[in-house]
Amino acid sequence: MTGRRKLLLGLVGVLALEVALALKAKPEIEIGAMPQWRFLLGGHEIVINSRTAVMSWLVMGIWIGAALLVRSRLREVPGRLQATFEFVTEFFDDLISDTLGPGNRAYLPWIGSLFLFLWLSNIIGVVPGLEEPTRDLNVPVGCMLVVLTMVHTSAIRKKGLKKYIKGYLQPFPPMLPLNIIGEMAKGVSLAFRLFGNIMGGAIILLVVSALVRHVLLPVGLNLFFGLFVGTIQAFVFTMLALAYTAVAVSD
Amino acid sequence: MGVDLGMIARFLGAGISVGFGGMGSGVGEGLCAHHANGAVARQPAAADQIVRTMLVAQAVAETSGIFGLLVAFVLVFGSVAGPPLLQFAVALGAGIAMGMGGIGPGVGAGIAGANACEGIGRQPRLSGLLTRTMLIGQAVSQSTAVYSLVIALLLIFVVGGG
Repeated sequence: MTGRRKLLLGLVGVLALEVALALKAKPEIEIGAMPQWRFLLGGHEIVINSRTAVMSWLVMGIWIGAALLVRSRLREVPGRLQATFEFVTEFFDDLISDTLGPGNRAYLPWIGSLFLFLWLSNIIGVVPGLEEPTRDLNVPVGCMLVVLTMVHTSAIRKKGLKKYIKGYLQPFPPMLPLNIIGEMAKGVSLAFRLFGNIMGGAIILLVVSALVRHVLLPVGLNLFFGLFVGTIQAFVFTMLALAYTAVAVSD
Repeated sequence: MGVDLGMIARFLGAGISVGFGGMGSGVGEGLCAHHANGAVARQPAAADQIVRTMLVAQAVAETSGIFGLLVAFVLVFGSVAGPPLLQFAVALGAGIAMGMGGIGPGVGAGIAGANACEGIGRQPRLSGLLTRTMLIGQAVSQSTAVYSLVIALLLIFVVGGG
């Protein structure tokens, strides 16, 4: 069987599975429902969004498992899986040396895992029964905090604390509050862009699925909002993180 | 079904949100296609890359329109609690915020995409770099649409959530 025919058969199989599962599901619209675990710890109530936590650990587990699997079978002549991983690594390697200049390979693990985590998080909702962890605002905000920490620590390490603080007084000292607000707006738009796109796609899917009784149309929508928008948004988030770092470390 | 002030406002808000939100995206996507056509005419060998970049650019330029659709869906199928006059303000405010806020980012992202297509027509070898630059620029120009969405959802779910 040729590769293309295999792919086609696989696609048809996935479509059939989606339709079968969709026909079984009940038409109901619940927006913003968030199952939670609550427990007391030292007098404080701790709230954990259970579905988000489980799904993000699932995503991390998948990547850790895949990485261990590939590492255990490293060969001179790469197999298909190893070639895919090498392609991704090289892609981000080139991207980083394009944006930050050569000799900045230390950023590769951070940028690479950020992208892989967000990408799988965004598209995992395509699998029936699973849900995107990025649909919960806490996950994009967490990633945004990581990015901001990285951007500012690398700026301080590159330029020194004095020059870093001086950067906020550019072009003249009264601009200080505006510069600080500008930094915060970067983070807010970064997190909310991801959240808005994923949550928006999820809500539109819910509503349209309920309207057409889950027959066929949501499959195409799922491909657009799940795979396409998810991939674009993960890439945009990562690229912006890189671009912010590049701006912060340049003089 | 009974008609009350809140329902009237929700439907009005939904109309405004989709109507105005679609304006910007429509113009932006048209601009992309217009410049992509020009670029293909100049550099037919790079047609593949140009069309690919055009489709990605249009999908991103459509974001504000999709946000408008999303707010309209939430308004039509959801409900807003509180006193009638507050419901009116919440629903209409959410619609106006998303609708009007979506015009600019749609056009802006479209212009970015249009010029990326034209740039590929001029320098096909730089298509990867141009597409990346375009994506970053579009993402930043979409920020105001994201702010509109945040305010619209805040109005509906927090202020009007009861």
